[in-house]
Amino acid sequence: MIDRLRRVLRVARWETARAGGGVDRRTLLAALALLLVAGGVLGGGLAAGVVGLDVDQNVYRVAVDGGSPYADAVEEAPALTTVPVDGAELGDTADLVVFDGGRSGTVETVTVRASDTRKGEAAAAEFREAVEAHNERLMAAEENRTAAFPITVTLQYVGRTSGLDDGSTLGGNDEGGSDDGSGGAGGDGSDGESDGDADGGSGDGSVGDETGSGDGSVGDETGSEDDGFAVPSVGGAAFGADTVGSPGSISPPFPFVSLLLAFVFLVPMNFLIQAYGSSVLDERTNRRGEPLLVTPLSPVDIVAGKTLPYVAAAALVTTLIAVAVGGGPLSVIAVLPVALTFLAATFVGAMFARSFKELTFVTVGVSVLLTTYAFVPAIFTNVTPVALVSPLTLVVFDLQGEAVGAGEVLFSTAPMTAGAALLFGLGLGVYREEDMFTQKPVGRKFLDALAVRLAAIGGAGSDRALRERLRALAPVAFLTACTVPFVFVAELLAVALLFALPVTVSIPVLLVTIAFIEELAKSLHLYAGFERDAFARTDRVAVAVGLASAVGFFLAEKATAVVQAVGLTELYVGRAAFGSVAGMEGLPPIAIAGLFLAPLVLHGFATTVAAVGASRGRAYYVLTLALATLIHAAYNFGVVRVYA
Amino acid sequence: MIEVEGLRKTYGDFAAVVDSTFSVAEGEVFGVVGPNGAGKTTTLKVLAGLVDPTDGEVEVAGFASDDPEMRRRLGFLPEESPLYEEMTPLSYLRFFADLYDVPRETADERIEAALDRLELDHRERRLGDMSKGMKRKVAIARSLVNDPDVLVYDEPASGLDPVTTNSVLAFTRELRETGKTVVFSAHNLYHVESVCDRVAVMNEGRIVARGSVDGIRERHGETTYRVFTDVSPARTDALAEVLDDIDDLDDLDAATEEVGDRFRTTVPTMDGVEAVRDATAAAGGEVVDIRTREPSLEDVFLDIVGRPMPGRYTGSGAVAEDSAGGDRAPEEDERDAPEEDERDATRPSEPPEGTE
Repeated sequence: MIDRLRRVLRVARWETARAGGGVDRRTLLAALALLLVAGGVLGGGLAAGVVGLDVDQNVYRVAVDGGSPYADAVEEAPALTTVPVDGAELGDTADLVVFDGGRSGTVETVTVRASDTRKGEAAAAEFREAVEAHNERLMAAEENRTAAFPITVTLQYVGRTSGLDDGSTLGGNDEGGSDDGSGGAGGDGSDGESDGDADGGSGDGSVGDETGSGDGSVGDETGSEDDGFAVPSVGGAAFGADTVGSPGSISPPFPFVSLLLAFVFLVPMNFLIQAYGSSVLDERTNRRGEPLLVTPLSPVDIVAGKTLPYVAAAALVTTLIAVAVGGGPLSVIAVLPVALTFLAATFVGAMFARSFKELTFVTVGVSVLLTTYAFVPAIFTNVTPVALVSPLTLVVFDLQGEAVGAGEVLFSTAPMTAGAALLFGLGLGVYREEDMFTQKPVGRKFLDALAVRLAAIGGAGSDRALRERLRALAPVAFLTACTVPFVFVAELLAVALLFALPVTVSIPVLLVTIAFIEELAKSLHLYAGFERDAFARTDRVAVAVGLASAVGFFLAEKATAVVQAVGLTELYVGRAAFGSVAGMEGLPPIAIAGLFLAPLVLHGFATTVAAVGASRGRAYYVLTLALATLIHAAYNFGVVRVYA
Repeated sequence: MIEVEGLRKTYGDFAAVVDSTFSVAEGEVFGVVGPNGAGKTTTLKVLAGLVDPTDGEVEVAGFASDDPEMRRRLGFLPEESPLYEEMTPLSYLRFFADLYDVPRETADERIEAALDRLELDHRERRLGDMSKGMKRKVAIARSLVNDPDVLVYDEPASGLDPVTTNSVLAFTRELRETGKTVVFSAHNLYHVESVCDRVAVMNEGRIVARGSVDGIRERHGETTYRVFTDVSPARTDALAEVLDDIDDLDDLDAATEEVGDRFRTTVPTMDGVEAVRDATAAAGGEVVDIRTREPSLEDVFLDIVGRPMPGRYTGSGAVAEDSAGGDRAPEEDERDAPEEDERDATRPSEPPEGTE
């Protein structure tokens, strides 16, 4: 083992030397100089205050008298800047003017006028939030917190309607959730599930315009003092009754700065994968890597050695960035799986690409796809647990100084880590002389990589004992099980992308998309097996491998229970994707068993249909895959109906 | 040292190697010859553990070909030897020595010895700046850094200039003297003849002849005599009878060529020489020179591969081992090697990508 590790390190050292030697010193110096100049300009700008990450500072000009009680609120809000009231011209020198109307008894009158522009509206909204935040701070400073935050609980039992029926947006339980704050003071009360901690509506009506407060129901609650962490506590208010909605129905506190800083972690990945992909493809060009295959090193040793320097570089750069932007170990832990996935996907791409030109497309594709996967969900960090599908969300939390539980870290990082491992496994399947130097199209190489993991079924050895035949089916089931992390990632991405659409559109699209992803995952390697003659082209074999694949998928699917633990199924869309049938408590055991096994029956039937098509050739496979998708989608609709 | 039994390698429907059986003794140089697509390279790659056989048993230095321990005892030189161009010969060879766990001091000694013998002086020059011949020498040196028992060389002199070719062939002969077992494939049959103790002739994935070079030549080739006369021989019955025994030369016009101011008549036997002498005398001339022409491996190869071979190969894969022949006859100065195009006409169609 130590000898093996030593050899891996030798390859790693050699790869490091090669990577360094591959770049001309002058080019390296020029790049370094460019980097220093860019860093100097940026640093100088930051120092001089010319540029900065606080791009939302001093955006709106508010004319307010220095003696006004609102002056402090404006002063404290970064986005607002105070301008003198005297001579203030609305729309010209000020976006918002605050007039003190004097005091009448205990009532203080104030008038706020905003310019009749979109900027004026935005300034009014920002001013409103600034006042709320100011009031919150004042009340938080009160010694008598009970007096400062009185609690009013109103119970009201109302009938529920399903998300499908009411056409509301994803994640919102009903209209009450999103509108509850409109009334301003007095607490929402519209939803009995309100946890009562209640934004309370405190004073938000003071500004007094018709849009009311919206009372920070999302922002204040998720981001502030009470629980410190907004992510998915199961059944909690964070994503339950009154706070969750799609971006179309809520006003999320956009964590701009944290998000921007989190994105910085992704930038170096693009450079790393270029260097790494080139190095892997270089081994395949003109059979340059053939002598390595004759050494006592296994392909795993070689690939591990070649990859290690890039993983180390990713870890180093990530750590440096984390230190620079104020992140902690959580940021590094979160970004490393992303780096591994970048490298793994690039490795597979470089093993499949026929030329550096193709490799360029592969690396760009990898970069775009993974950046989308990592970045888009993170936008919703403070809004919904869907955001946790991306490890970058952990970085945002880390930069916001919020605590994250081990479950959330696992939920965020495990799929990508498992996916990276499986991608490396896929590429290693063709890291051998017979495959790595051939010039096949990427699609055929992908099928080769799948087929190489399968055992022969049917054909010459069809008279084998049952035990041997079952053993031959095991790789089929195992390979299907290995696709589950990718299925999970793809489905999470679908959830994240469809999250913004109305339920009436997103749920049907999602159910069909998920059906397609799963049917493809269950049957693509079966097609590869038939195409590469690992499987005999008979209906009997097709049924056998179809059922084996279904069993593998069913078992692996059950392992995704982590979703339940994290609470994603609190969302309609999450429930549609990953949820199970509710209301099973009163059912007899046999019915529960039947419901438990229903997905297995579905997978068995649908996958067998696709497998029979795969055994007959590509055109039949495409047709039967579509048919299996429809069957699966119909089942999904049924389940959602039952659950709803 | 090498035992191959019933080796079979298929790629889908294409059979690259079919039922190959041979063995190579310790210290022997064994040649594998055949046209493109004959299965030579695939056979060598199976021996090197690069390609898994579809069927059959392969044992090298006492280990199965997929045993990592076997790789420690084997040096492989692929047909192409692109190197890591940003490295120098020294750093490149040290890196490979490291992978074989060779101590640095021992590795340096071996590297120095190999590069000295191969007359490669530019040890600190970037490999990317070296000529093809120099790179080939570095690749050969690489095959020796682990001091292997078995060397598998695929077309070691392919594409090299004559001087480098001779150097590489001489080096290969020396390897035999140091007790190494060498399996050597070549397109150029002269290279095989000059280096190998025994050869296997492959065609369309099968070994169609196997044995010592002389034995195979004796079995499949024909010695001919070239009689030079100052006048063209007369047409006599005795001469006509002799010429009938030679394929394609069954008349005097075909058998006799005018070469400068002399006439050259080719006959298969000494009786034929006597017949030409008598016929020339009858025409008023005399014999001025007689030369013997031994068949080259090239002729044998064309005989086996270029034409149908009824009675020699039945398709069962069983090949009779030729016994060793006598000493090789001196070469004739006029070596009638067939033109490249003629050889190409005998080649079967190319196999699928990635195979030979």
